[in-house]
Amino acid sequence: MLDVALQFLVNGLVTGSFYALMALGLAMIFGLMEVVNFAHGEFFVMGGVVAYAFCNVLGVDFYLTIVIVVALMFAFGAATDYLLIRPLRGQHLLSTALVTIGLSIFLINTMLLTFGTSPQGLDAPFSRKPIIIGEIVITEGRLFAIVVGAVAIVATHILIQKTRLGRAMRATFQQKEAAALVGVNVERVYTLTFALGTAMAAIAGVLLGAVFVIHPSTAELATLKAFVVVILGGMTNLPGAVAGGLLLGVVESLWGGFVSTGYMDVIGFALVIFILLFRPYGLFAPRPGR
Amino acid sequence: MSSQRLPLLALLAAAIALPLVFRGEYFMHLMIMVLFYTVLASSLNIVTGYIGQLSLGHAAFFGIGCYAAAMLTLDAGWSVWTAMIIAGLAAAVAGFVIGYITLRLDGHYFVLITLAFAEVLRLVVINWEEVTRGPLGFPNIPRPSIVLGGEVMVDFSSKTHFYYVALVLVVITLWAKHRFVYSAMGRASVAIRENPRLAQSVGIDPFYYSMVAFVLGAFFAGLSGWFYAHYISYVGPDVYGFGFMVTMLIMIAVGGRGTIVGPVIGAAIITIVVEELRFAREIRLSLFGLLLMLSILFFPRGLVSVPDLLRRRGWWPGAGKTGTA
Repeated sequence: MLDVALQFLVNGLVTGSFYALMALGLAMIFGLMEVVNFAHGEFFVMGGVVAYAFCNVLGVDFYLTIVIVVALMFAFGAATDYLLIRPLRGQHLLSTALVTIGLSIFLINTMLLTFGTSPQGLDAPFSRKPIIIGEIVITEGRLFAIVVGAVAIVATHILIQKTRLGRAMRATFQQKEAAALVGVNVERVYTLTFALGTAMAAIAGVLLGAVFVIHPSTAELATLKAFVVVILGGMTNLPGAVAGGLLLGVVESLWGGFVSTGYMDVIGFALVIFILLFRPYGLFAPRPGR
Repeated sequence: MSSQRLPLLALLAAAIALPLVFRGEYFMHLMIMVLFYTVLASSLNIVTGYIGQLSLGHAAFFGIGCYAAAMLTLDAGWSVWTAMIIAGLAAAVAGFVIGYITLRLDGHYFVLITLAFAEVLRLVVINWEEVTRGPLGFPNIPRPSIVLGGEVMVDFSSKTHFYYVALVLVVITLWAKHRFVYSAMGRASVAIRENPRLAQSVGIDPFYYSMVAFVLGAFFAGLSGWFYAHYISYVGPDVYGFGFMVTMLIMIAVGGRGTIVGPVIGAAIITIVVEELRFAREIRLSLFGLLLMLSILFFPRGLVSVPDLLRRRGWWPGAGKTGTA
């Protein structure tokens, strides 16, 4: 019983690290920039599809592929913000939400046309041999996914807390006008934040392709899950988004393993309703002072 | 308000005469879908257009209307017309409950909590097979019929019959919406949309007026669900899905939110564009996504604002007065 639970826990952590990466990206775009981004799941799938093009089709080295995908998707995110989001800044929530819905419809169908409807895995250089630690079984690929996820999350944390750009970001999202007043290029900060969020989702897509498969039709559920996790973490709370992602992965895995798989996806949404009503500042932050 | 009333009356006259001129089955089907989507999009517009809250749970009320109609006529054997009333009321009750819980939140939180409610409902409908028949849904939902003195007067074997029922629903919806918008309540709602804090300071309770709009919107979404169930004769869990939600959002945004004519224009254009893009085969949906982005970027207030935009450049007759209700 206990060893089975441990196994579910580890499986949950693998799924959880995908959720954490996606949610970290969305916490920037949705939590900080307040853009209801319905194309987030598409950014995630796109990471996998672009990686497939480089790694499987062009035969580029797997590790180099990750770097290329991050760079390309960062540029794609910046372009998206510049062309679609910037003209609508300051307008009603609905306008930006609809532009991202349009983008998601465009991206998902274009990917279905070029990539096809059948799921594909990446040619990752991992052996399929399981690693057995005590009672727990894990593969090289899964371990790699957890490690890369952790590295990406720590790097983001350092970027935001320790660099000049990070300081500009924090200033902008605390008080936009004041930041602009002291010389922060607010528009540039917005664009870079959007690009960073996009790249985060794309990394999750590449890792998923290396461990499981890439499948365009997963985009919609991925978007919804990412929103769920951002709420669990408390909107603007970036470490909270990571913790929320890991938690949702583990809870889903345990629930699916011990209770039922049918209602597995309900947990997240039920949690969202509960949290928004009783703890709108998220699961992990202390109750804010009044 | 008169600027919106006259074109609407002209449109109504044309709509009544339409089946007398064009009789093609396919054409009638398209027109019925336009009318159906007009009701659905208008119901969402009451919430999103007037109190300015982006509700992503609206498809749930449509779904409740669909399922109420299917279950009452198939499982309980009720008449189609009684089911109509109950479908609307069931959605309104759900709107009351969900609105009571969710309307305390605003902005981004409201968007997500309504989405979460709709998703929970959809997943329950898929999994609770004893009652909802799960993913199979309800096929063979009966057609309505009008019986007078023991004799069947109208048996709804022709699409024209459905067309007129849909038209009646559209008229009721737009009339109710008109009454709402140009009442003290509607003006209060717009005040809440434009500046909730200022509205509150002059004694408007945002929660109360938002509830009224939310329940009204849910009721008409339920009615449109009833119509959809009997016209298509099949409902499945996809009526709760994101597809319908996105379609109605696109319609009010492309047409013009916060106006009465907007959703009508949006429903007509989107239904017809989606049909006409069939020639483009596989790239149809990609093109649709592209068109949607362009339309939001260039006409952020919707297509109803086009005459205003042209007028400002002197390309359209009339004074350059901008005004949408």
